[in-house]
Amino acid sequence: MTPIEDRICARWIEVGTRLAFCVVLASFAIYALGLLEPLVPLAQLTDVWRLPVDRYVAATGAPTGWAWLRFLGKGDYLNLLGIALFVAVTIACYARMVPLFLREGKRLQALCALLQVLVLLGAASGLFR
Amino acid sequence: MDWWVWPVALLALTFAMGVVGVLAGVGGGVLFVPIVGAFFPFHLDFVRAAGLLLALSASLSAAPALLRSGLASVRLALPLTLVSSLTSIAGALLGLALPTDKLQIALGLIVLGIAALMWRSRGAEHPEVARSDPLSVALGMHGMYHDAALGRDVEWKVHRTPAGFAAFAGIGVIAGMFGLGAGWANVPALNLLMGAPLKLAVGTSGFLLIGGASSASWIYLERGAVLPMLVVPSIIGAMLGAKLGVRLLRAARPAVVRRVVLTLLVLAGARALLKGFGV
Repeated sequence: MTPIEDRICARWIEVGTRLAFCVVLASFAIYALGLLEPLVPLAQLTDVWRLPVDRYVAATGAPTGWAWLRFLGKGDYLNLLGIALFVAVTIACYARMVPLFLREGKRLQALCALLQVLVLLGAASGLFR
Repeated sequence: MDWWVWPVALLALTFAMGVVGVLAGVGGGVLFVPIVGAFFPFHLDFVRAAGLLLALSASLSAAPALLRSGLASVRLALPLTLVSSLTSIAGALLGLALPTDKLQIALGLIVLGIAALMWRSRGAEHPEVARSDPLSVALGMHGMYHDAALGRDVEWKVHRTPAGFAAFAGIGVIAGMFGLGAGWANVPALNLLMGAPLKLAVGTSGFLLIGGASSASWIYLERGAVLPMLVVPSIIGAMLGAKLGVRLLRAARPAVVRRVVLTLLVLAGARALLKGFGV
């Protein structure tokens, strides 16, 4: 019998990944078909994608941190929504594990899951900058 | 060259990598970063971020089936992924701080090292674990899965957990620094070092990768190193290719595919080294 944490984790990952994949597909279609103007024009992109990220940001005015949320109206940065969803699936999955392990009396596993959530949130928040 | 050539080429390349990655039992990231870094015009910062996201998306798409079949275990992965998540953040920060030429040289050496590791390492189907160590007992790192090939349930437990933590700490640094994913190292660490059965090690490796790749991906995302024109076609290509790879798995000859992968790794590793030396 598959342990309950494996089954629940599988379900959460499946739903989250499908949602992220749909968002990524739709947003990339909008970007590639030119339905929304990008922040970095495609003609300029081929010149600047050779640069290290710091120089790319300086040359294009591309946002860092969570500032990309302000550019969701731009074709290129709309794509980060789906990509961030992919990355956030893990946080949701481990957060769900915490109460599950606690209910089963597995305190050490619950602590590991909680610490994992905190590490991921720390990375997402820019704490380790 | 027109901009659209590159996403189309990436889609085709990552589709092929997705197929080969499944057939050879390696993650997509280990092929993606050295090959795209060597032969495409994108800076290595963007390629490493894309490599992590590609490895993450491929692992996420495979994880539900592996978890449901018992071939991946949250209990086994959770403590190890916590360690590799922390160190992959350090790896990502280190990678973004190093000069590109030094990073190319290190990437070339690492990729050639991975090729050597893959060439030499032979997995043990069911390693002998006489006694679990106290740490693995405390963390509940034991369980059971059904092996369809054997037609019976297989009970598993692990040992040498402290050494396993140390190994996954190192794997996390390399994965975060180079965006390589970590399937190439996770499997030997789980199977040969900690004594997990090979099938469980392969299945759990992908799930384990999710935590480390997520943590490091946030660092690259936060720095502005995620380029949709590079990342999205790569994710789509790799996910579709992996689905075809799973279907071809029965008919494929893994030894031949493995040799192809090794050849590609040697070529891409050598190219990265030469790039690092300015050749």
